[in-house]
Amino acid sequence: MSALAKVSYFWRSAAGGLRHSPFVHFIAITTIAIALFAAGLARTTGRALDGLMASLGGEVEVTVYVTPELVPEQVDALRAKLETASGGQAVLVKPAEALERLARELGDLGDALAQLPENPLPPSLELSVAPERRTPELLEALATQIRLLPGVTGVDYGREAVERLTAIARALRFGGLVAFAVVLFATIIIVSATLQLAIYARREEIEIQKLVGATDRFVKAPFLIEGLLQGLLGAAVALVGLWAFGRLVGPTLTSLFSFLLGPTSSEPLVRPALALELVMAGGLLGLVGSFIAVGRFSRV
Amino acid sequence: MIQMFHVYKAYPGDPPVLSDINLHVEKGEFIFLTGPSGAGKTTLLKLLFCGEKATKGQILVGGRNIARIRESAIPYLRRNIGVVFQDFKLLPQRSVEDNVGFTLDVLGVPRAEAREKVHRMLKLVGLEHKANSYPLRLSGGEQQRVVIARALVNDPTILLADEPTGNLDPALTLEIMDLLNQVNIRGTTVMVATHDSSLLARYQKRTVRLERGFIVSDEDGVKAARRMMAV
Repeated sequence: MSALAKVSYFWRSAAGGLRHSPFVHFIAITTIAIALFAAGLARTTGRALDGLMASLGGEVEVTVYVTPELVPEQVDALRAKLETASGGQAVLVKPAEALERLARELGDLGDALAQLPENPLPPSLELSVAPERRTPELLEALATQIRLLPGVTGVDYGREAVERLTAIARALRFGGLVAFAVVLFATIIIVSATLQLAIYARREEIEIQKLVGATDRFVKAPFLIEGLLQGLLGAAVALVGLWAFGRLVGPTLTSLFSFLLGPTSSEPLVRPALALELVMAGGLLGLVGSFIAVGRFSRV
Repeated sequence: MIQMFHVYKAYPGDPPVLSDINLHVEKGEFIFLTGPSGAGKTTLLKLLFCGEKATKGQILVGGRNIARIRESAIPYLRRNIGVVFQDFKLLPQRSVEDNVGFTLDVLGVPRAEAREKVHRMLKLVGLEHKANSYPLRLSGGEQQRVVIARALVNDPTILLADEPTGNLDPALTLEIMDLLNQVNIRGTTVMVATHDSSLLARYQKRTVRLERGFIVSDEDGVKAARRMMAV
């Protein structure tokens, strides 16, 4: 008795199964391919959104208003403390510079600022924060810590903008996960149903196998391999689809959204890591679907 | 080889299909199971290859009590028992060679060795020239010979045949019975369920008669044949 002969039989039988019911397997492979194609697109879109969040988040700075009485040495000491606390860079903006900037931003109305008897703007330190510390909680903690420093009169970090961006990112991720779970569930059900059809079509063969002494594991193994093959073929089709999509539609999308997404969108759609992920996901989908299908063997 | 002690088989809500069956079959014996339709012949054979479970009683096959066998051990028992059915149970989309080799696939016999065994078995049943044919292109007798080859290819110690000639004309019937006789001469214990009394008279083998689930007679070949001729 040779294990190799059995393994060889399982693969021959699984390949024979694919040939035996091509339409049924076509449906399963197409379903897996569509699910993985959608997942691949979602992954790429998610990556682009992450890039967008990072670029938008990078524009959020903490502005620390300081009392005009501070001497340059005190300002330098405060700047050093801020940089240590935030992990970023702090730049001093003098009142005149701030007023000039405001006038520029106001455009024509900016001329009115020239009529002011004195500059009402305080000096400030604009602090960029390291990306990993840009969550609402950490920024709030940082602001509280800074407010207690001597010479600081106020802190502004665009709290609303940060909270909104974070909420959007969270909602997108959660929505993506829910959609992915639904697609995953539907795919497993369809793969399992198609394999049950394949099993039903071969019930005579299974009956004879059992009569001549096949164990349950022996009967099930080819169907598990069939599911695995379905998954791998589905992943291959999805990858070809993604590659073709990237080639045909990618350039148009890149030019349409480049103002928003920046350079990340010009990355290729199918990267090796994504290909590996999809192949593994395909194999797993096929295996899980077939595992559920063969679990009902006693009813054959 | 086969021992049955006070075996009963009943389905819920129905009278017993088999009642108080006591039967001893020696190694290398040829035995006919006969009786009218519905007497319990097929059920008795099914109990022996665990196609059904006895409701009561003990069944020993090769010294092993199969009335209490675990589900997972059934495949290993079946590897020692060849089964031949009246309706053949061949796979129409597989060649004769593949149908016979099916049993060896299950056992994990390497392909070259399996091929050799299959051809030896096809030669024994006189079908070596039909190895590449498909079952539906064969006559009933040829199909039944393929089934016998499949049942014997892994050298089982017991061959159970349920109405193996039920669908065959008289000439093919004798062909198949001669083949089963040859198999028995080679040392395999053969148990044939049939309601064809002409076979009992012709082959003069031990005959167990079932009626309404009971064994009503168990006679040696000569006695059974004499009784058949008298009838």
